[in-house]
Amino acid sequence: MESRPLVVVGAGVSGTAAAIEAAKAGVPVTLIDENPVPTSMAGLNVPLFFGQRFNNVLRDRALMMERVAATNEAQYEAISEAEEAGVDIQLGTCVWGAFRNSQNSRLLDGPQIGLADHERSWMMKYDRLIVATGSRDLSFGFAGCDLAGAMGANGAHSLMSRYQALSAQRMVILGGGLLGLKTAKMALDNGIDVAAIVDIAPSMRGEKTLATLLQSKATELYTSHTVKQAVGNNGDIQSVVLVEIDDNLEPIAGTEKVITADTVCLAIGLVPNIEILSLLDCDLTFKSELGGYVPTHDDRMRTSVYGVFVAGDAAGFHEAMVHNPDIARNQGRIAGIAAAESLGATTKGFPPLKGEMSEGQRGPTQVHTIWKQWLHSLANAAGQDTFACQCEEITRSEIIGLEPPRYLEWESEQMNRRNLQTQLKDNPVNPNQVKRLTRAGTGTCQGRNCREQVALLLAEESNTDIADVPLSTYRPPLRPLPLNVIWPDDESEDVRNEWPKWFSPNNKVLG
Amino acid sequence: MPVDRAEIVIIGGGVSGLSSAYFLAKAGKDVVVVEKGMVGGEASGRNGGMISERTDEPALIPLAVESVRLWATLDDELGFPTEFIHQGRIQVAVSEEEMGDIFTERDHAQRHGISVEQLDPSQISELIPGISGRTLGGLFFANGGHANPQRAVQAFAWAFQDLGGRLYQNTAVTGINVKDDKVTSVETTVGDIAADFVVAAAGPQTALLADMVGVHVPVAPARVEIIATAPLDPLFDIALVGNGLYGRQAARGNLLFGGGAHEWIDVDLTSDPAKPNTPLIRNIARRLAELLPAVADVPVIRSWAGIVEQAPDYMPIIDIPDSPSNYIIVTASAHGFGIAPATGKVVSDLVLHGKSDIDISGLTLNRFSDLTPDWRQNRGWIPAHH
Ligand SMILES: Cc1cc2nc3c(=O)[nH]c(=O)nc-3n(C[C@H](O)[C@H](O)[C@H](O)COP(=O)(O)OP(=O)(O)OC[C@H]3O[C@@H](n4cnc5c(N)ncnc54)[C@H](O)[C@@H]3O)c2cc1C
Ligand SMILES: Cc1cc2nc3c(=O)[nH]c(=O)nc-3n(C[C@H](O)[C@H](O)[C@H](O)COP(=O)(O)OP(=O)(O)OC[C@H]3O[C@@H](n4cnc5c(N)ncnc54)[C@H](O)[C@@H]3O)c2cc1C
Repeated sequence: MESRPLVVVGAGVSGTAAAIEAAKAGVPVTLIDENPVPTSMAGLNVPLFFGQRFNNVLRDRALMMERVAATNEAQYEAISEAEEAGVDIQLGTCVWGAFRNSQNSRLLDGPQIGLADHERSWMMKYDRLIVATGSRDLSFGFAGCDLAGAMGANGAHSLMSRYQALSAQRMVILGGGLLGLKTAKMALDNGIDVAAIVDIAPSMRGEKTLATLLQSKATELYTSHTVKQAVGNNGDIQSVVLVEIDDNLEPIAGTEKVITADTVCLAIGLVPNIEILSLLDCDLTFKSELGGYVPTHDDRMRTSVYGVFVAGDAAGFHEAMVHNPDIARNQGRIAGIAAAESLGATTKGFPPLKGEMSEGQRGPTQVHTIWKQWLHSLANAAGQDTFACQCEEITRSEIIGLEPPRYLEWESEQMNRRNLQTQLKDNPVNPNQVKRLTRAGTGTCQGRNCREQVALLLAEESNTDIADVPLSTYRPPLRPLPLNVIWPDDESEDVRNEWPKWFSPNNKVLG
Repeated sequence: MPVDRAEIVIIGGGVSGLSSAYFLAKAGKDVVVVEKGMVGGEASGRNGGMISERTDEPALIPLAVESVRLWATLDDELGFPTEFIHQGRIQVAVSEEEMGDIFTERDHAQRHGISVEQLDPSQISELIPGISGRTLGGLFFANGGHANPQRAVQAFAWAFQDLGGRLYQNTAVTGINVKDDKVTSVETTVGDIAADFVVAAAGPQTALLADMVGVHVPVAPARVEIIATAPLDPLFDIALVGNGLYGRQAARGNLLFGGGAHEWIDVDLTSDPAKPNTPLIRNIARRLAELLPAVADVPVIRSWAGIVEQAPDYMPIIDIPDSPSNYIIVTASAHGFGIAPATGKVVSDLVLHGKSDIDISGLTLNRFSDLTPDWRQNRGWIPAHH
């Protein structure tokens, strides 16, 4: 198995900065990023919520490789030493697993990650790991959200900046915070019409100047509005119906507006990508102002697990970060230097803190309250029969009813008497249990697109603070990988010959 | 002062405990189940869901045969779906070595009067489309099939409650009070619960709960792993064993397959044991792709692990020790899901009548009377150092 002193996962702003700093200190660094992702995965809205809005160029893997590499090179330009130091960059490579010895798993040959490209997978040992995996889109179900063209802000950002492959003509953006306004600005810069920016609040939270600028570009700002429905033809969004809402987030009859658009971009929030940290059992705490469960870390970006560092959105996301990439970059530099020092390298010391800001400047502190209100407004406008889990097509009302999946065609008096409320009398709210019974979150995206929605619904139904809803478990593989990709193509004869059968007195049992 | 009292207290809300609770409540008994986590949170909600007549294990056959019969009635009986599918089990051989096992199994089954049919490769590929061309032969057991573990264990729990049973979840048993050779109450994290009869069906922790009253239950905990693929169109509805794996296609279409090396661990009484996966899931994937090459490109979307306990002879234990004499020990040795309905029947019989019509003579504790206390060390059934 390959073994590397320092592996950085994620070649975004923070990961690249980390890799550069560590390389400058003389540490051999491997920098891994899954872009360009295989189209098969992008089509499943994994890892980002692309909503089928990538054009055919994405299928040209060689071209995509070039574009993604160019994006990374641009980040390198300023620091030529890094290139000389020779950061080993592996693009088109995802990290799907992370393993280390712990209480009930003691047979590993050291800490290691599982990697895969579109053809094969392999394991890699590390001494130090920097997790700079960014964030993913918060996704909420609304009527028509399963049509092509419903996507997320990070998905849109990625298709625009990394791939130059966003095929949208006219966009409606949900979310009037900085995230939404920046997405709008970026779309306009890329020649995409932004028909409307919608927010449930009576005013846009994002920057005034930005909002004014956008308005001058014929973008309508709809405050106190929500989405009632996306209307489609042949599976593609053609128009979006907005509706005004009152103080109770209830739709006001007769205020519907039909907006012609082929894309609805959810820019309500981003969620830190903590999957790898969760597999490694790093301590996680719930911080609403940072997007939910985030790793605890010290000022050197060290997590609770020895040798594992975190940086950028993965350490916690707040809206100011889309405005000011220096925040993520700085965290990356610190993590890179700290990792290098912990490997015995000498560095020029830590950079002065840059871009960090006080609570008030970061953005809203009760992020989940805003998310909850959005969810309410969507449910009020379209009813509970829209999908919460799109992969398994489970509606909000099926979750509230704790209903067995439709394909079982189960009907009984006994089952009719059971629902989420009766379950909550027995047990504190438990997303894992709800998942196993309703199947919400068991689909191909493994809850990436419904976790927050289900958690918010459970918090609501159980009258629990969202911070007290446990994290639904992450498991490998973190990406849907074909059997013949995740399998080891170098399986040893020993493993083959000594494969035990299920515990049985007739068979040899491995210790 | 006890916070509650019941005729019977059952420790463990896994499938063994809840099936026992259901049959006792159905017989009119006042029953409390105490579970440290949630219903089915451990092995019972995480297993492969395979159900068979266990031809390979003579001591288990009476229990297993009765179980298959009961499984077929459960959906109606309980009023909740278990996803039980009674299409039998197929065991295929993709190597000469496995073919050897096939002959042994066939002889076992015939000797015990269990319905078995030997299949040639073409018959197998009709039953399991997409199966490996390397298949040499196999066996078909008509009685058996599979069910959804979490749904089944929850079905028992709900049906038990519908009969008036009381279920304490997130409540751990921390002690057992004994007086004059009888258990009088169990200590829990919410207070004592008094009982006339106590059933310890706490999976690997059963050994710890037995130790407290001076009974040695020789079981070693182990962690095992399983993988799930994305859903596929219906391929087969028979439980499938072969190429070192066992598994099924779930009602939703996902392939769920497990197998391979287990890892010995230790557990403590009240905490939730960690259940990490390892890179073994890659090897499981490889074996599955070899077994079903036609679907080798289906994505793996998840894996998980569970904790089972094993006795030295890999067999369940169902017994009442001499002292305390109102205390039933139930451990499953990793066979527990398939046999759960009959396990519950037996436990209920033992409480109500002191004996059962189902033959469990091979499952009593006295079979270990020659075992030395250091048996785990001797066999190497202990956690590795790290
Ligand atoms: C709407 C919008 C506008 C933005 N505008 C700007 C801008 O103007 N200027 C600017 O510099 N930045 C901009 N950004 C980017 C953003 O502000 C920063 O990049 C971000 O704050 C933090 O970067 P990061 O390095 O933490 O994560 P990211 O930049 O998201 O990088 C994380 C990387 O990790 C990869 N990754 C995640 N998981 C895995 C895995 N398991 N295996 C392999 N790879 C993985 C991802 O694919 C991604 O490439 C914008 C973002 C958005 C959403
Ligand atoms: C991956 C995997 C695959 C398997 N495949 C199959 C299969 O295909 N077919 C089959 O028949 N079997 C299979 N098994 C085995 C089967 O799952 C178990 O034998 C069975 O579930 C045991 O049930 P149980 O109720 O006896 O124990 P458990 O399910 O372990 O339940 C015991 C319960 O007791 C609780 N408990 C423990 N200590 C305390 C305490 N102090 N206080 C209160 N509660 C406590 C635990 O939380 C737990 O819920 C498999 C197991 C695994 C893990």
